[in-house]
Amino acid sequence: MAIKNKIIIIGCGRLGSSIANYFSGRGENIVVIDSSEASFTRLDNNFSGYTAVGDASDLSFLENQGYIETARKVIITSGDDNLNLFLTHVADKIYGVEEIYVRFDDPQKSLLISGEPNVRGIYPFQLSFDNFLALDEEDEK
Amino acid sequence: MKIVIANGTTEAKFVIDMFKDDPNNELVVINSSKEVVDQIVATKQIRVTHGDPWRDYILDEANITFADVFVALSNSDTDNYASCILAKRAYSVKKVICLVQNPSNVEIYRKLGIDSVVCSTYLLTENIKSESSMERLVRTLTLENNKIVVTEVPVLSNYRVCALPIAKINFPRYASIAAIYRDNTVIIPNGQVVINAKDVLLIITSPDKQSDIISFIKEKRKK
Repeated sequence: MAIKNKIIIIGCGRLGSSIANYFSGRGENIVVIDSSEASFTRLDNNFSGYTAVGDASDLSFLENQGYIETARKVIITSGDDNLNLFLTHVADKIYGVEEIYVRFDDPQKSLLISGEPNVRGIYPFQLSFDNFLALDEEDEK
Repeated sequence: MKIVIANGTTEAKFVIDMFKDDPNNELVVINSSKEVVDQIVATKQIRVTHGDPWRDYILDEANITFADVFVALSNSDTDNYASCILAKRAYSVKKVICLVQNPSNVEIYRKLGIDSVVCSTYLLTENIKSESSMERLVRTLTLENNKIVVTEVPVLSNYRVCALPIAKINFPRYASIAAIYRDNTVIIPNGQVVINAKDVLLIITSPDKQSDIISFIKEKRKK
């Protein structure tokens, strides 16, 4: 059985690349996947992980490279909620990945990942709204 | 039957035409494209909800709860997946059917809970496979998402199984003879029925055993 020691980051936009740079700084074993080579310019010059250009919605791509079988943590940050939902279910139900983080623009997607203790949703809308409320409360004082 | 048709263009129109005239059917049509919505409303005289079928407020608006069938026809596999999963989990739809472009998604979507996954490329290759069996004068029909195969095998006089009662041929347990066509009649076999030359055996088996059973039947009689 493959050793599960990799952190797989799907999507190398602002969020994905920042997470990749963070883990790279901590010396983790990272693979970042994006459909566009140009996205990897967001990575730091001393980024120590691997990059892979490919379509993450095509499971044969993830499987052929042996990425997902060796994943300890999968972080899904693409801008397509439906792709993110599918990848979450694949990582969870097919590969039993222990820690899955997924970003959703639509907070209602939480409906479809609830009840899975290993899956954590990240909702930029909710975070921004909470942030606004906190700032507003601060100003009211 | 309450049928929900989510997205798709020509496919959606075709499915609507297939089912709209039966008064027992209730069609619920949802489409993300305003253009397609307008076309369907103008030509099919049915109500269409405009919006993305993977969003809960759109499925609420279309009132799809307890639908019998939900079919997702867009050309994005993951959009279809997300729509089907939402319909199944949150709206108690009995059966969800998902159209996919990528043949490698067929198995995985089934594993993830989509009841039926349809892929034209996948069907095409299955057809090519059965065409290549046809060359050996065998016709096949696959059922239940390719878990069951029905194979027609014509019997020639030099086959070992010919002129023997079924009980005597040690027929493998992994397959069964469902029927025998003989002179335009159908015989439902039992152990005493004797297989004749020119009979066509209708064999039921799993796909992985199909070639084994064909070779078993086609085994020549020892001289």
